[in-house]
Amino acid sequence: MATRAQVKELLDSGLDYEAVARQLGIRPGLAYMIATGRPADDDTAPAQDLFEPPAHNPTTNPRVIEWVKERAARELRSAG
Amino acid sequence: MNLRVPSPGELPLVRQLRGADRLGRGAAAESRWSKELRARTATADRTVKSVCPYCAVGCAQNIFVKDGEIVQIEGDPDAPHSRGRLCPKGSATRQLTTGSSRERHVLHRRPGASDWERLDLETAMDMIADRVVRDRRRGWEEEEDGDLLHRTMGIAALGGATLDNEENYLIKKLLTALGVIQIENQARVCHSSTVVGLGTSFGRGASSTLPGDLQNSDLIVLEGSNMAEAHPVAYQWVVEAKARGATVIHVDPHYSRTSALADEFVPLRAGTDIAFLGGIINHVLTTESDFREYVLAYTNASTIVGERFEDAGAEGLFSGYEEATMSYDPRSWQYEGAFVGAAAGQRDQEGNVDRLQEDELGGPGGRGEIRRDETLRHPRCVWQILRRHYAAYTPEMVERVCGVPQDVFAKVCRLFVENSGRERTTAFVHGVGWTQHTIGSQYIRAASILQLLLGNMGRPGGGVMAMRGHASIQGSSDIPTLFDTLPGYIPMPHAHGHDDLADFIAADSPARGFWGNMDDYVVSLLKAWWGRAATAENDYCFEYLPRLTGSHSTYDTTMAMVEGKVKGFFLFGQNPAVGSANTRMQRLGMSKLDWLVVRDFSLIESATWWKDGPEIESGEMRTADIDTEVFFLPAAAHTEKEGTFTNTQRMLQWHHKAVDPRDDQRSDLWFTYHLGRKVRERLADSGDRNDRPILDLTWDYPTEGEIEEPLADAVLAEINGWNADGEMLSAYTELKADGSTSCGCWIYCGCYAEGVNQTARRKPASEQNWTGGEWAWAWPANRRILYNRASADPSGKPWSERKKLVWWDEGKGEWVGHDTPDFEAGKPPDYVPPEGATGPDALRGDEPFIMQADGRGWLFAPAGVADGPLPTHYEPQDSPVRNLLHEHQRDPARQLYEHEWNRYHPDPDEPGAEVFPFAATTYRLTEHFTAGGMSRWTPYLAELQPEFFCEVSPELAAERGLEHAGWATIVGARGAVEARVMVTERMTPLWVDGRVVHQIGMPYHWGPNGLARGDSMNELSSMALDPSSHIQEVKALSVDIRPGRRPRGPGRTVLVEEYRRRAGITAATGMG
Repeated sequence: MATRAQVKELLDSGLDYEAVARQLGIRPGLAYMIATGRPADDDTAPAQDLFEPPAHNPTTNPRVIEWVKERAARELRSAG
Repeated sequence: MNLRVPSPGELPLVRQLRGADRLGRGAAAESRWSKELRARTATADRTVKSVCPYCAVGCAQNIFVKDGEIVQIEGDPDAPHSRGRLCPKGSATRQLTTGSSRERHVLHRRPGASDWERLDLETAMDMIADRVVRDRRRGWEEEEDGDLLHRTMGIAALGGATLDNEENYLIKKLLTALGVIQIENQARVCHSSTVVGLGTSFGRGASSTLPGDLQNSDLIVLEGSNMAEAHPVAYQWVVEAKARGATVIHVDPHYSRTSALADEFVPLRAGTDIAFLGGIINHVLTTESDFREYVLAYTNASTIVGERFEDAGAEGLFSGYEEATMSYDPRSWQYEGAFVGAAAGQRDQEGNVDRLQEDELGGPGGRGEIRRDETLRHPRCVWQILRRHYAAYTPEMVERVCGVPQDVFAKVCRLFVENSGRERTTAFVHGVGWTQHTIGSQYIRAASILQLLLGNMGRPGGGVMAMRGHASIQGSSDIPTLFDTLPGYIPMPHAHGHDDLADFIAADSPARGFWGNMDDYVVSLLKAWWGRAATAENDYCFEYLPRLTGSHSTYDTTMAMVEGKVKGFFLFGQNPAVGSANTRMQRLGMSKLDWLVVRDFSLIESATWWKDGPEIESGEMRTADIDTEVFFLPAAAHTEKEGTFTNTQRMLQWHHKAVDPRDDQRSDLWFTYHLGRKVRERLADSGDRNDRPILDLTWDYPTEGEIEEPLADAVLAEINGWNADGEMLSAYTELKADGSTSCGCWIYCGCYAEGVNQTARRKPASEQNWTGGEWAWAWPANRRILYNRASADPSGKPWSERKKLVWWDEGKGEWVGHDTPDFEAGKPPDYVPPEGATGPDALRGDEPFIMQADGRGWLFAPAGVADGPLPTHYEPQDSPVRNLLHEHQRDPARQLYEHEWNRYHPDPDEPGAEVFPFAATTYRLTEHFTAGGMSRWTPYLAELQPEFFCEVSPELAAERGLEHAGWATIVGARGAVEARVMVTERMTPLWVDGRVVHQIGMPYHWGPNGLARGDSMNELSSMALDPSSHIQEVKALSVDIRPGRRPRGPGRTVLVEEYRRRAGITAATGMG
């Protein structure tokens, strides 16, 4: 188990939690908790990414935009 | 797991004390076994952002997926509204979506058959498409008395509040193009009266605020809502407010966990809230403790009403009542010298309004000069009318009617007044405890009047927070799978007077306010639906829309089914066999259908009534005699599709697909799209002009994957709209009526602005203010608190520093603040419309209710509400108490249905009334969901609340010999149910007009199928409706209760008939 001192030392060297976690062989969220004493999914801790796998949240879809262009050209261009 | 006895040195506490980790934060907390454990979240491949599919709080979820399987679902801690929390239902969503209770294959019941057969999906879809084409024609109605109808009455649909907005959109679009008008969903039976009440009062029929803003309230009054149990995650904001010093009042017939956390619990008799609220209004008026500057500037208090208006008075009838039709002609309620149409609400009045315009004002809505008396002394100004109307609602009368002691009532009044004004604000929170009454719309109106008088609208910590019950019931109201509206609350055209687009716009679009731009919204919608075919020359295909001829609500459709007029019926995630009022009538109606399509997770009661419903057991129906063909198509869960839910705060949140649906499970988007495709294929060669609407429909959505799932974000893009250059529109102000823009729902315009799915935005709460404006997207225009122009005084300055929200920045020349201003950004406070201005330009810079034709909040509603311009106390349809405030016992305009299975109870003064001496009310439990389809089949939830029960006071238990945990039978004129008895002081006997009235509480989630089984309380309720919204009354009714279980088989019907005989019930009972 990594100690707080180990985590702090690596953080002080400029590494972020992901890098610290990789070096110590633990999960980033655990590194965060060891360093701060707070869980990474606490309301006040903006560190959700540290304890969860990569989030899937795309906000754009090029296929939709292409389809919209086609429809607009077909349905609206001739309008007055 | 290998278990062995650890040595003393291995015991955790010993290790902790001996080692370096004495606080037990690290190594000392681990054992050899726990060291090997890995959280499912830690081993997942990916996290998919989603939204809880249960209630309308819309808690954000993280779905953890490993190797294509969902391994965990948790709350998303980044979400501003839910802050990582989930209630028991939300916590059970993994079991809901991955459990074995879900059906995976199509099932088919042939007419008269005794059981299901398997059917392949493609064949089922072909059979359904064939039946749609056939029965659309069989039920076709082209015209009536020379008026265009262009519709079919052969097909109906019900359900949509559990579906995505995109699914509702396609359902409404397809069915409307087919000419189907009998389209309804859960919103009708849950909050349709909220839409009328809020819409007529303020201009929009949705919650004015968000639960997260309750933290800014000084007083929160929860009435008609058990928020702590029905919306527990949102209740955190009430608790937050309390921690900041707010006072919390809970007014309810039933003590609950909401009451337990409140500062004041005020028990009142079910069905008397208007008397209670009217009493507070009277207190505010007589003590002149209103927020006078706000009232004068922002409400219609000073507006003078026409001479012909007569108040309801002691009789309880306003002017314009027509006894023969049990309805009002609202013309006499109009302002003097002017006509204003309603921004929302009851559109059936529009026929009358048309006549009014033609007869008296010579022009469309909003014309004429509104006259005001700023001194509020004119006898016909709204202020004086209000004073006279509520003068009888004294504290003494509140006590006699509601059972609320005068000292308690006085304290409530004092708290209201003390916590309103420049420096302080009060919020109302309500749920279906207010809406489901024959006068439900007026309940909401009463609260709206109070909030306007006290200046609590549009301000932080103020407003009316309508707690809605399904994940997207707000969305299914906005993009309505409802009979009377088109997307964005555009009214469906009526057969009378709406012959062409110009007539339609002229009749329904007022000259002032943002509804004055209705032509932009309508034409853009018609372009979205009929694309190239919609041209200026053909009125943009306006003729393609089917026409209404009155109410076609779900209960009217039930009666049409009973009469054999409806041939085919779609159920999209709704369960009327136990969830709608008078479930016997629902099942009787379905037994007359030719075919029924049920789309759901499990075999709900609405899918199986033909083989195991109560009427089969009683012998009133025989399976072999029922010719209804039934298709059961298993639905995909929210984790298996993508799309948006609109939650109770008008916020659209995108949920991504985590895994593929299995076997025959499909989304409703898939079902609707492919059904439409198949119907169009069948009609492709048709030369019938009535088939043009379906053939010209824009229906070329891109699909993906092996099953050809339509892209939900393409549908959302169509809803948002685009211009002729294919650029996504950013705001509804960009819409045009010249055919150059397309938009499927004008109030959602902007949700896909700049080609970005704004509804998928997930900026953490910690990085933005309390309104959460960068989390997802809220309609309209991403405004989180509606009417927020009213948070500033007429000159544009905040009423107080403590309650500032938006204000006029003179330097910038625009409105700025903590929220998107609900006002034209550059319109200064001192703007005065030029002569002849129309639409938004005709509203002044100090008129904050921009959807209203007069720019003001309506204390008095001159239009839009069917049963009077002011809320008036009437007793429920079935009540053990006579009306002490007015001669009319019940709402004189309520909507009733005469049928031998839908009999009503006698008046309280009539012989036989004593047979049903108790008041009953209904409510929701935390662990179950609506009619049970998403909870009674879920083992965790079924185990938590395994049985139907009733709550009775110790006094009633003693009076009727009821034993705690024993059985009771509850009986009414429609049916009898059995329930486990909970004897509890949570039900308070009330002293009402010199006698004790006992109340019985019942949750309404049960039915005979699933893991947690029990009778449905809707066996007891009647079809008696609010005339404005067509919502049923299930929150207050009269019953009898007796110890023991109900009879089995035919004995149940015999028992009900015996009660009817004793009460002398006939077809005329309760109809007056």
